[in-house]
Amino acid sequence: MALLFANTANAQDGMLSVISNGKGAPSEMNFQELKSILRGERQRWSDGTKVVIALMKTNTKAGSTTSKKIYGMTGDELNKYWLALVFQGKAKAPAFFNTIAELQSFVEQTPGAIGIIDVAAQGNTKMVTIDGKKTF
Amino acid sequence: MKKFNLFIFTLLLLTGMEAMAQDTQIKGFVDVLGNYQNEKVSFGLGEQDLFITSELSDRLSFLGESVFKFGTSPTSFNVSIERVVLKYNFTGNHNLLVGKHHTPINYWNDTYHHGRVFFPTIFRPYLFSANIIPLHTTGISVQGQNLGKLNIGYDLMVGNGIGSSEVVDNDKYKSVTAAVHFKPWEKWRVGGSVYYDMISPGVISHHGGSDTSSLLTRQMIYSGSLSYFGGKRFELLGELSYVTNDNDSTGPKNTIAFYTYGGVKFAKKFTGYVRYDFIEYDKGEIYYHKNNLIAMLAGLRWQINYLVVVKLEYQYEDSELNNSSNTVTAQVAVGF
Repeated sequence: MALLFANTANAQDGMLSVISNGKGAPSEMNFQELKSILRGERQRWSDGTKVVIALMKTNTKAGSTTSKKIYGMTGDELNKYWLALVFQGKAKAPAFFNTIAELQSFVEQTPGAIGIIDVAAQGNTKMVTIDGKKTF
Repeated sequence: MKKFNLFIFTLLLLTGMEAMAQDTQIKGFVDVLGNYQNEKVSFGLGEQDLFITSELSDRLSFLGESVFKFGTSPTSFNVSIERVVLKYNFTGNHNLLVGKHHTPINYWNDTYHHGRVFFPTIFRPYLFSANIIPLHTTGISVQGQNLGKLNIGYDLMVGNGIGSSEVVDNDKYKSVTAAVHFKPWEKWRVGGSVYYDMISPGVISHHGGSDTSSLLTRQMIYSGSLSYFGGKRFELLGELSYVTNDNDSTGPKNTIAFYTYGGVKFAKKFTGYVRYDFIEYDKGEIYYHKNNLIAMLAGLRWQINYLVVVKLEYQYEDSELNNSSNTVTAQVAVGF
């Protein structure tokens, strides 16, 4: 019941959480570092694992909140941003998902993966605190 | 017939690659145009650009870009291999790239390539069509991205120089490109580059232009750029190239080419913009086809979504060798 309440509370408040694979991302970082990583500005984590970004599709509630809160863009602007970077050969596009469960499963199985969700983390994914907080 | 077979082969190859599903992505861009000039309306096809990216391993990736350009006779077209790049991420944000690149000499060439859906204006600035800069280089480069707090980036490239083909250098000289950029504030980018090449006598310039010299020519191109994109209201881009073409007979001849672009966003999906182009050659220019030019345009861009853009422009052009002209052009550019 408490977990269900926590999941619902995240989604209603527009709060986001960061999850990661056990390999790669640190357990905590600040918001500027998170932004830099999610903008594709880092190719590797400090342990040498490749950075892999997992996001909800921009037409989902979590995806829309992510676009606005982290990137400062609309969903359409975010799609254009990534298409341009891939076309320039500068970065690999994130993996986009329709459901939280799919995103979490991908992060769990992919070394170096980092994902943004709007519910409490489940399964074997690691939670990453941002500026000392579990949600932002 | 040969070109048609090549087109079919390429399509089949791309389909096969997609079916393999090795994290291979195939995307493309295409545009259609209409213009009014000299009391005549014309409709035309722009370019069809196909690009493929593929993650080959944890550190190795591939990018290929091919462009189909349509000719002046019915059904004729040319296929141009614009980029074939193998990229190896050897550490952190540092990469080794091998293959045919768009020379990392300036912002526009390194950012927009042939993706007209990304262009802020319908066509490239005039310093491209005037063959001022070498658009492509086949060679090897080291590249760094987003280094430090200022997000510094660099490119150091050695390649086959002007006049070479994709398979062999035409002479013993190599071109060298060194470029660096940084982002002093969010959404701003400042860049600079130096390009060096020795152009052998009789070599025709890049993309088959009419530029050629009967003497061995030492070419230095100094370029700088300033850009601001991604803001809520304004966008800005300015680039300048200063070229010295030098030989032992006439001495150095200089060319200056620049453009400035400014845009204002309004009503969520619209941007009004202007651009000014200027090219001036020294008297007695030894390599470029001398044709001093100024051009001004004003336009409106409607970003329907990230894959569909409509642009409408009025342009005035005045050059040394041609009568001044006024042109109205409309373009629909899409990505798929």
